[in-house]
Amino acid sequence: MSPAPRGSSARGALAAALALAATAALAHHEITAKFDDAKRTTLSGIVTDVDWRNPHAHLFINVAGDAGAVANWAIELESTITLTKSGWRFDTLKPGDRITVVGPIARDGTRQIWGESLTLAATGRKVLYALDTAPVAPAKPRPAPRGPDGHPRLGALDTEGGYWGYPTSSALEQDGAQVAMNAHGLLASSKDAARVAPFQPWALGLYQRRQERHLRDDPMFINCKPPGGVRYLQSEYGVQLVEDRERQRIFVLIGGGNHNYRIVYLDGRTNRGQVRGDDDNPLYYGRGTGRWEGDTLVVETTGFNEDFWFTNGGLPHTNLLHLTERFSRPDFETLHYEVTIDDPGAYTKPWSAHWDLRWVGGEELPVHFCQDNRS
Amino acid sequence: MTLRVAAALAGLVACLALAPLSAQEGHPLKGSWLGTWKQNTVHGDDLILVLDWDGKAISGMINPGTDNIPIARGTLEPKGWVVTLEANAKDKAGATIHYVIEGHIENLELPNRSIVGTWRSERGKGAFEASRQ
Repeated sequence: MSPAPRGSSARGALAAALALAATAALAHHEITAKFDDAKRTTLSGIVTDVDWRNPHAHLFINVAGDAGAVANWAIELESTITLTKSGWRFDTLKPGDRITVVGPIARDGTRQIWGESLTLAATGRKVLYALDTAPVAPAKPRPAPRGPDGHPRLGALDTEGGYWGYPTSSALEQDGAQVAMNAHGLLASSKDAARVAPFQPWALGLYQRRQERHLRDDPMFINCKPPGGVRYLQSEYGVQLVEDRERQRIFVLIGGGNHNYRIVYLDGRTNRGQVRGDDDNPLYYGRGTGRWEGDTLVVETTGFNEDFWFTNGGLPHTNLLHLTERFSRPDFETLHYEVTIDDPGAYTKPWSAHWDLRWVGGEELPVHFCQDNRS
Repeated sequence: MTLRVAAALAGLVACLALAPLSAQEGHPLKGSWLGTWKQNTVHGDDLILVLDWDGKAISGMINPGTDNIPIARGTLEPKGWVVTLEANAKDKAGATIHYVIEGHIENLELPNRSIVGTWRSERGKGAFEASRQ
């Protein structure tokens, strides 16, 4: 027998909203797509299994009901990467531990709960504290490193690791819109939808529909489709730029989604596919060619397919999408990114957005794989 | 249904059975649709519909390769996801038939979403249903 949800008071709802706002910045998918923040519960039980793997770790606990029957609940947690950065280990909890968990339960009525708070009964110690913060910046900004050609290095020095993470914006909206939304692009008010971008009517309708459904149809979440377009640059798992000057290209290694890559060519070629290769097949990351304008790398990308969401939050796009991306490194710790979205298939005019990413030095990209049916 | 249409349908079904259903997260009408316009005594009950979107207009064709009926006008109203398609065909004698298909999209979120509604022309009317392949 499942215990009845409780804690639906206004104060509880406010606390839930605040807690969700905090955790949404970390989770792989939009929590409210799967879990109903209006239905929250507290469960106490004994751990039966720990499933420590991407994209989300899970705990399973046996919960005794009022009539003595025992029900097994699944507790969904952050990714193992986020948990590890927050001090968790795979053996932080073990089968046999008695715990109390608080969080929203699954919308579909199955015995699943999002682990928002987790306490070890024996000691009262809170064991779930998922907090992943950006590295502390030095008091005095260091200058951006430069390569032999004088341009800023956008990746790590040859002898060091490093990647870009902790984007200052994780959901796309046009410059100046300042629409309230959470880290996954879920709007605080659906009335603001039309302000996010200059939509064509069908695109606005589709965007609103995705929002109304709490982004639960996100193909990156359901089918592990790649975070193409600009989405990978707003991922919590970062991006690594590997500059191959000899071959005049930049390999862009992507930490989120299905751990994919794109290539930006700097050798003057056009945005065409290979005659004996991908030819003109539309792609998830399109075809990008770059050039330097002073200290800014300007990348023109076209050739996208329509099989994915190109942003968090579900902004639609078509195969007419053309991105003009501008990468610069104003100091050692900062990658500044500006993008102009020109998609006459979905929007009434070109529009722009910008954000920064932080340098995570001395580390390689987190290994996070979204895998079919495990999201 | 003519033998040519039947053969084309059989071929398309065979191809689609082998090919995975492709996602379509862009314009909801874009893609290939397979379905029926019931009681169509001129062009048969079964139909193939191919639609495209260029940012300004919906274009496409009914029964490409056999009847080759071009879409003359198409609209999609996001409120209720109401679809209207108009097409001009010829009968065997060369007389023009003006088709109007009216319906709405069901299961918008799914790759195999459907258009459900009615069709009408000077020669008749009936139920219309097509699913995206």
